[in-house]
Amino acid sequence: MRFPATIVFLFCLLMAFSGYSLPDTHKKFSVTGKVTDKSDGESLVGATVFIQELKTGTTTDQYGRFSLTMVPGQYTLSFTFIGYASSSRAVTLDKDISLKVELETEQKELQEVVVISEKSDQNVAKPEMSVFKMDIKTIQKIPMLMGEVDVIKAIQLLPGVQSVSEGSSGYSVRGGAPDQNLILLDEATVYNASHLMGFFSVFNNDAVKDVKLYKGDIPANYGGKLSSVLDVRMDEGDSKKFEVNGGIGIIASRLTIEGPIKKERCSFIVSARRTYADLFLPLSSNKALQNNRLYFYDINAKINYVINDNNTVFLSGYFGRDVFSNQFSKMNWGNGTGTFRWNHVFSKKLFFNFTTVYSDYRYVLGTPDGNTNSFQWNASLKDLGMKGDFAWYLNTNNTLHLGAAVTYHMINPGTASGTGSETVFTSIQVPKNYSLESGIYASNEQKIGQHFTATYGLRLSLFQNIGPGTVYNYTPNHVAIDSSVYKSAVVYNTYGGIEPRIGLMYQFNEKSSVKASYARTYQYLQLAQNSSAGTPLDIWFPASPNIKPQIGDQVAVGYFRNFRHNTIETSVEAYYKWMQNVIDFKNFAQLLLVDTLEGQVRTGRGYSYGLEFLVRLNEKIVSGWVSYTYSRSFRLIPDISASPYPAPYDKPNNISVVINVQVAKRWNISANWVYATGAPVTFPTGRATIAGKVIPIYSERNAYRYQDYHRLDLAVTFSSKQKPKRKFTWDLNFSVYNAYDRHNTWSVNFVQDNIDPNTTYAEKVYLFGIIPSVTFNFHFNHE
Amino acid sequence: MSKLLLSLLILLLAAGCTEKINVKLDNSYIRLVVDGGITSDSMQRSVTLSKSASYFYNQPPPMVSHAIVLLSDGSFLDTLKEQLPGNPGVYGLDPAFRGVIGKTYSLSIKLPEVIGNSAEYAATCKIMKVARLDSIQTEFDPNLGKNGRWLIKIFAQEPGDEVNYYLLRYYRNGILMSDSIQKWSTSNDKFFNGSYIRGLTAFRINNANYWETLYPGDTVKVQMSGITKEYYDFIQQVQQAGYQIPFFSGPPANVEGNINNGAVGFFFAYSDSFATHIIPK
Repeated sequence: MRFPATIVFLFCLLMAFSGYSLPDTHKKFSVTGKVTDKSDGESLVGATVFIQELKTGTTTDQYGRFSLTMVPGQYTLSFTFIGYASSSRAVTLDKDISLKVELETEQKELQEVVVISEKSDQNVAKPEMSVFKMDIKTIQKIPMLMGEVDVIKAIQLLPGVQSVSEGSSGYSVRGGAPDQNLILLDEATVYNASHLMGFFSVFNNDAVKDVKLYKGDIPANYGGKLSSVLDVRMDEGDSKKFEVNGGIGIIASRLTIEGPIKKERCSFIVSARRTYADLFLPLSSNKALQNNRLYFYDINAKINYVINDNNTVFLSGYFGRDVFSNQFSKMNWGNGTGTFRWNHVFSKKLFFNFTTVYSDYRYVLGTPDGNTNSFQWNASLKDLGMKGDFAWYLNTNNTLHLGAAVTYHMINPGTASGTGSETVFTSIQVPKNYSLESGIYASNEQKIGQHFTATYGLRLSLFQNIGPGTVYNYTPNHVAIDSSVYKSAVVYNTYGGIEPRIGLMYQFNEKSSVKASYARTYQYLQLAQNSSAGTPLDIWFPASPNIKPQIGDQVAVGYFRNFRHNTIETSVEAYYKWMQNVIDFKNFAQLLLVDTLEGQVRTGRGYSYGLEFLVRLNEKIVSGWVSYTYSRSFRLIPDISASPYPAPYDKPNNISVVINVQVAKRWNISANWVYATGAPVTFPTGRATIAGKVIPIYSERNAYRYQDYHRLDLAVTFSSKQKPKRKFTWDLNFSVYNAYDRHNTWSVNFVQDNIDPNTTYAEKVYLFGIIPSVTFNFHFNHE
Repeated sequence: MSKLLLSLLILLLAAGCTEKINVKLDNSYIRLVVDGGITSDSMQRSVTLSKSASYFYNQPPPMVSHAIVLLSDGSFLDTLKEQLPGNPGVYGLDPAFRGVIGKTYSLSIKLPEVIGNSAEYAATCKIMKVARLDSIQTEFDPNLGKNGRWLIKIFAQEPGDEVNYYLLRYYRNGILMSDSIQKWSTSNDKFFNGSYIRGLTAFRINNANYWETLYPGDTVKVQMSGITKEYYDFIQQVQQAGYQIPFFSGPPANVEGNINNGAVGFFFAYSDSFATHIIPK
């Protein structure tokens, strides 16, 4: 199987080159360039570049760059991007040309609204599927819990994405587990994207530029996770003028400063936020609560420096912490990430991008000192990685991506020890583990004729466990018998994977296309999380001699059709996904501070399938989307159940309606409504009495369901008068979460009555009633 | 100790609202339920046999009478006699019986009729040794919680040669305050294996709960039992049974006992150590 796949790939690659090396009757020249926003100089990602004469074109890459190669002649290039006025350039191609294109935001007095003039047709024309891209302006209009705009909560409104639990930042994509999502912030992996137990995510919307979710058809340059990629890009900072943005909400405040360090060459952005719910605790009449602390803060920063036309460097970072303490305990946890990136233009056709990333997730948990029970417990996961990526614009019909990435993972699963002189606790250390994850990839996007485009790529991944390390050996019944200890720098286990990625597109006309894709993915790190919503204490653990890598395969087909000058995008996608070596845990697993975590893992297969319908609106007055998904997801893990059982995220019917209406110049209304079949759950089918306590006897795994979930959220935004050149603008946002007070199930407990111990009843726990909130946002700029 | 922190987090973050709901549940087949065991002293000497019921049965458990219940340690020791007519389904041991540390005891049950898929059941449990409680102390901390907490601290030399599991219960003036399984305290020696336990807090009693808190002049007694890992796990599973907290709880599963043939429950055997303290007036 492996050999032919490689051969086919190499053959395809050869074809790409053959197109390039065929003797040309004419010498060809390139037009390269960068498309930026005229007002702040930020690069525009995914802008369309169209050659009128050839009826073909391309889109800008993630740094706003493009490259086209054509025979000499007179051409008219048009540049379009959502929310911007289009622009055309006439070029005489008798030598290589470099263009700087600046697009201007469509003003029309309404600055805050995305006004669309020329529509992008990427839904139909771009050879990628199962992808959803949102800019931050779209996300900012969605009503949210406590008014806190949240990237991940917006993602959960998309077809094929299920929230794992009410209010949680965890999500399942097309039936995959929440730890099968690769979450990237400026290319650095974010291992725990939640703040405050998941009610908020780590992404500060003021610092985010756009997000792109790949639910399938994952490009070859991404690897390491089975089910999806969420690529979050930070804002680059305004390179022309200073801007201050901020917001004051009921739970948090935000402040962002951006501006040029050197005009049009170097810009920066710094963004910070903090919640302050606990600042009101001292007012509490409950003495015990007065000294409690519960908050999070985070800081995003980025510097962007254009050295010259051929070199740009970026330095970006994120740091966030959640802090919790009361008189018994204290705890803090959070992520830090850092990214250094260098974009280099080797030639008109060859672009290079080099990235170094650092990612760190850690937590510390403990009690105040000076007590016999005083202790401290910490754990961490650190990543150090490098990536190199070449984009080679061979000719108008072939764009090649080549690259390599290597990441060193350092995991401390847990250290706990007594603190202070009075403690009775000794210390324990769960063996640390180290591993190296590498990948090389090549892919080509090839246009074949007017209608057909094929994207084919191959990723080779390699995973190595490196000493020092301790590996327990288990009996077939998962009992640890002994352990092997490996010395420093010894590679004691290696796994490899061949991951083909194929996408095909046939475009009937400019309004419709069909697409199909297949992707295989490998996953070498997984989360030891046995609960549905999870906690910050859940740790990641690597593939090892005992744990095989997870393997995922997905096929998808889709039909894409745009209406009304691309202002209405529709799509239908069907997928089937099957997974090997998926992870679950034995009953009553104890996953924290244990050496023998691997002995509690149970593995098996998983499969899921679904049909996703999406209508997306980009009208001037009305925007948003409506989606319906039918999907199923199952696990077959023999040690847990003899027959397949529904995965915790198996919610067959799912509807999302996200609508935003600009009702008047200064008034904007938005609403979303979500509906999902109740999540599967295990309920009692009998009871026994032990030492006076009634204990449940349970059904088969996930044989029952919670009540169906549905919820309506509303928001109204009133904005200050919009005038060109106005320095200070503001808006006031009122929102209501769960507007019709639906008591959606968070969990169901089976409770023994206090007064009559023979009586038992079921009790539903729900988290939110109606939650109104108000947020004031402001924007100040200084030319 | 992680349990304590997690429960605090839950209180603070998940103070969700609750409401009773009606759930339609199917009925599983009836199982035998075994609850009881023996100790190294004379405090516990009975085994209760009952039947499982539908979840909303809402009556006392149906007891199982006329069973033959035998205790052995390799050779036959005693027949447990059903306490009729007073306590049907409760099978008592000779009051003079004392379990011996290090011995493994077996319980065999022969039912007059088939329950579940068998009429015969058996279980075994070893009596583990227990660290000797040197002493206990009490302390009132007015700063803990709204009303302050009474702390009971224990002092003992923990043996380092094996992994030990402990069950702790306390008495106030001779009356067992840890009177339901929910109020039992358990610990393993993971964090203090082999060291001298110098004042580990075993109980933290809310002073607002008049029915279980302590008063100056009270005689406080702590019973520390050395239990098997299986029984330790079983107690924890029973304590959590029925409750689901999405942050922490794994998928619900049946508690894992030590009775064969699919019966529910546990036949335990353990050794005890006691210490007493009088709170100064």
